[in-house]
Amino acid sequence: MANANPPVLVAQGIGHLARNFFREVGSLFWFVVNTFEETFERIQHGRVPFRAASFFRHTERTGVDSVPLVGLVSFFLGLTMALLTGYQLQRFGTERLIPGLVAIGFTRELGPLLTGIMLAARIGAAFTAELGTMQVSEEVEAIEAMGIGPLRFLVAPRMLALVLLMPCLSTVSNIAAIFASSLICKAYFSIAFPYFLDLVKDSLLIRDIITGILKSFLFGLLISAIACYRGLTVKGGAAGVGTSTTSSVVTAVTAVIGFDTLYNVVYTTFYPT
Amino acid sequence: MTKPTHMVELRDVYMQFEEKKILDDLSLRVEPQERLVVMGQTGSGKSTILRLILGTLRPNSGSIFFKQFEITRLQRRKLQAVRQHMGMVYQYSALLSSRNVRDNVALPLEELTDKSRAEIDKIVDEKLELVGMKDSKDLLPEELSGGMRKRVALARALVLEIISLSETAKVTSITVTHEMDSAFRIGTRMAMLYQGKIIEEAEPEEFKQSKNPVVAQFLSGSTEGPILEGSLDAITKK
Repeated sequence: MANANPPVLVAQGIGHLARNFFREVGSLFWFVVNTFEETFERIQHGRVPFRAASFFRHTERTGVDSVPLVGLVSFFLGLTMALLTGYQLQRFGTERLIPGLVAIGFTRELGPLLTGIMLAARIGAAFTAELGTMQVSEEVEAIEAMGIGPLRFLVAPRMLALVLLMPCLSTVSNIAAIFASSLICKAYFSIAFPYFLDLVKDSLLIRDIITGILKSFLFGLLISAIACYRGLTVKGGAAGVGTSTTSSVVTAVTAVIGFDTLYNVVYTTFYPT
Repeated sequence: MTKPTHMVELRDVYMQFEEKKILDDLSLRVEPQERLVVMGQTGSGKSTILRLILGTLRPNSGSIFFKQFEITRLQRRKLQAVRQHMGMVYQYSALLSSRNVRDNVALPLEELTDKSRAEIDKIVDEKLELVGMKDSKDLLPEELSGGMRKRVALARALVLEIISLSETAKVTSITVTHEMDSAFRIGTRMAMLYQGKIIEEAEPEEFKQSKNPVVAQFLSGSTEGPILEGSLDAITKK
């Protein structure tokens, strides 16, 4: 290998990375498919796939406990966005565009995206660490050994909780940001609250809201799938749990931003205005 | 390929992790109601044998049968159904840390049967009573000692017996250990695993008299003999 041609080595390296990437994507895809299959199979047999208590525990942790973080971060970003764009727009006498700009920006794009990033860090990391610890302490294998499907028992309640709660948290994010921008509009640009609401209603389309909600579902599925997959494939004890948790957050954040871009490209192709 | 009449059979199983060979064309049979003890050094592949039987690991080559089922060829769904007829007690118990003792023992009954809460409670109480842990059913695994955890894990494995066996049936067991005292107390047949192969199989008394130098050294705990220097720790610690 010492005499190998540098371009060949680079090509080999790229090939190796590409192979690993596609293998991971394939594994993740089948992980999601198998989770759905195992869950629906159980339902077909007339039995609940997981305990309601388990599902509600995850919804509480994923949703209710995340409200302060999502709300607060979105509130501050709403303030900043309204303030910075407001001063620029004021130069052209168009500061009444601020409410629409913040409302559309958050509903369609920033709300789901910010929520996705925050939940990838907060909940994705927790899921990976929890399942990873169960994996290294043989708890997952013990569940499997009893003939209980670990995908429907461990993964499905987490996945469902995150998928269902993501749109709710995105909505919290949108409302917090819009409320924050209304405060800025009132304080700095003399836009009264009723007029602010009229401007928001005039600029916001149902399509924007639906787009944001659809994105949220997708991000919820992505984050939970990546986090649970990384957790259940932990190798190498406590150090492995740490490595997988970091990897889970990095992968989930990258995937959320990547899919958001892809979604926008596809969306603007079909709905350019 | 002929279907086996044994309870468990491993046929020419080869298994390696990365570059390390663990099992080398190993063959092993377990008859119904037999209590087989597989002995061997730490890292010799004893636990791998159990994981292969459970189907949580797949061999590189060879076949594994549980009753008439070929574990190595079963689909995930069928494998889950077959696993309901096996009970496994782990070295470190593997109790679910988020559930208390009662919920750990009740788990297989809640998930795999249609029994009512009252019926499940009755069975759980019986099994916990059997292992002397009835008073600890509200405790979490972290609040238990190592020995207590093992007893709870045993109660959980015994619960699976209710799912898979009729009351009169006797259990077939495979135990892997390097702990000699308990091995001879529970086993009806002993097997020695060394360098990926079963090098000796016999009834306990016959096994103790084995002329095989590896078995003799392992049983005596001697540092002199064919067992590699680096592997002696596990034996000499005993």
